[in-house]
Amino acid sequence: MITLRDLSCSYGDRIVLSHLDTQFEEGGFYAIMGANGCGKTTLLRLVAGLLAPQQGTVLLDGTNVLQFSARQLAQRMAFVRQHPQTDFEFSAFETVLMGRNPYQHHLQNESEADWQIVEQCMKHTNTWHLRFAKPNEMSGGELQRVMIARALAQQTPILLLDEPVSNLDISHQFEILDLLRQINREQHKTVLLVIHDLNMAWQYCDRLLLLHQGGIQYQGPTHEGLTLDNISTVFGVTANLQGDTICLSPRH
Amino acid sequence: MKRKTHILQYFLFSALLLAIMLGCSMLGAVRFGWQEMWQSPIFLNLRLPRIVLSVLVGAALSVCGAAYQSIFRNPLTDPYVLGISSGASLGAAIAILLGLEAYLLGIGACALATGLLTIVVIYRIASIGNRMHTTTLLLTGVCLTFLISAIISFLMVLNHDKMDSIIFWTMGSFASATWRDVVIVAPVVLVGIGVVLYYCRDLNLLLVGSETAKSLGVEVERVKKVLLLVTTLMVAFCVSTCGVIGFVGLVVPHCIRLICGPDNRRIIPYSIIFGGLFLLLCDTLARTVLRPAELPVGSLTALVGAPLFIYLLYRNKKGY
Repeated sequence: MITLRDLSCSYGDRIVLSHLDTQFEEGGFYAIMGANGCGKTTLLRLVAGLLAPQQGTVLLDGTNVLQFSARQLAQRMAFVRQHPQTDFEFSAFETVLMGRNPYQHHLQNESEADWQIVEQCMKHTNTWHLRFAKPNEMSGGELQRVMIARALAQQTPILLLDEPVSNLDISHQFEILDLLRQINREQHKTVLLVIHDLNMAWQYCDRLLLLHQGGIQYQGPTHEGLTLDNISTVFGVTANLQGDTICLSPRH
Repeated sequence: MKRKTHILQYFLFSALLLAIMLGCSMLGAVRFGWQEMWQSPIFLNLRLPRIVLSVLVGAALSVCGAAYQSIFRNPLTDPYVLGISSGASLGAAIAILLGLEAYLLGIGACALATGLLTIVVIYRIASIGNRMHTTTLLLTGVCLTFLISAIISFLMVLNHDKMDSIIFWTMGSFASATWRDVVIVAPVVLVGIGVVLYYCRDLNLLLVGSETAKSLGVEVERVKKVLLLVTTLMVAFCVSTCGVIGFVGLVVPHCIRLICGPDNRRIIPYSIIFGGLFLLLCDTLARTVLRPAELPVGSLTALVGAPLFIYLLYRNKKGY
């Protein structure tokens, strides 16, 4: 369970998050939503222990995340960045194999079991055919899927994903979200997902954390939270519900 | 299975290096037969320590270059380009002026102090923002080198009498290598290489980015600090015995990377072997081409290294 207590974070004078209090339950599938620059990525980085908050704490099962070693954290949480770096020459297979790093000692080589886990994760994310490809030989979407495969290879109970489907075409968006939901249901992994697409969030995520101006606009079940009022406040657009689909138009 | 093949290759190439060391030791201004070689003081006290030292320094500089290239995520860095070698040579010059030559670790300790100061300046600048642009990094190194050579020139003008021995440090040469130098350098280099080998996997992850490395279980700040300290220690002790020798740490890992890919678990062991071999061959050329006169080995490594590097850069424009 991840608990945020009175969490505040700012970059210079700009306050991004102020006095956040919330909880992410074990096995939940959470969507973190909000307008651009509202602190979604910052929130994920704080949870992942990559950033120290100015105030407050992030507790992972009751312990401050900053007290864990990098290795301990990497065995508990996997983090997929929004923009993966591509300026290296490791093949997709080698990249995914790096996900096994938290389980290996310095002078130990990868075992047969590690190789099998990597193969399985790459097949799950439909990237096995890309295993010899270098980052500059892959499309943005393919690279994104390789990064998700690496996060799966970490075999952590918690997955943090920063807009993992933003680079993907619609069929791969469904594929990845189906996969994440399947992992969530079958292996009871907690998934925290920053996502922009309201319909996808509606369809896949059980719980919603809606951020607005540094605070929490809404937290709770997605279906109750994605109200036309909330959407209108957070994104500054007019929202209509047509059947099961949310239709948006600019506010004039 | 795969690992066994690699170990076999390391073993074979190491044997090759040993054979070439032996071959090079027979070349020179004075030639020996196999029998008289092992009794000759010229061979035992002059040539042999020189050959051992050149291999040690070559291995150390190459390993340091490979480590810097991963830490700074930039294939164009090495101890010379970053100005760390020059920084260490300033310490060596100061030690000579203070008369610390007599102490076993006197020059090494001073070289370490100024070398560390240089790396702190570079690391501070490199830590601004997520990643440093190649141009900024290289220009910082060039500027530091200029600054340091200005200070050294200033020191030389003020101390005419010791000018010769200071010039030696800025040029780079193994001509005065002794067993004492080997005894000073060998432990530092061997331990240093051991530490870098220990962190090979972390170096791979650093290449993918600091934040990603951290989320994959690398204690990024600690690993960087340990490696920068250890590599600067190696560079400082190398510079304190043989002066500034450039391009070894740049060319050797780069060539290896082109052949066997970006994995530091391959690059570092091969850098040890081929870095040693490269500097050994350069030094052998330096002392035999114009015998009995000598070329400065630093100018030879630059002569071989710089054009090769430009060619590699041209062929492999995309960098990493």
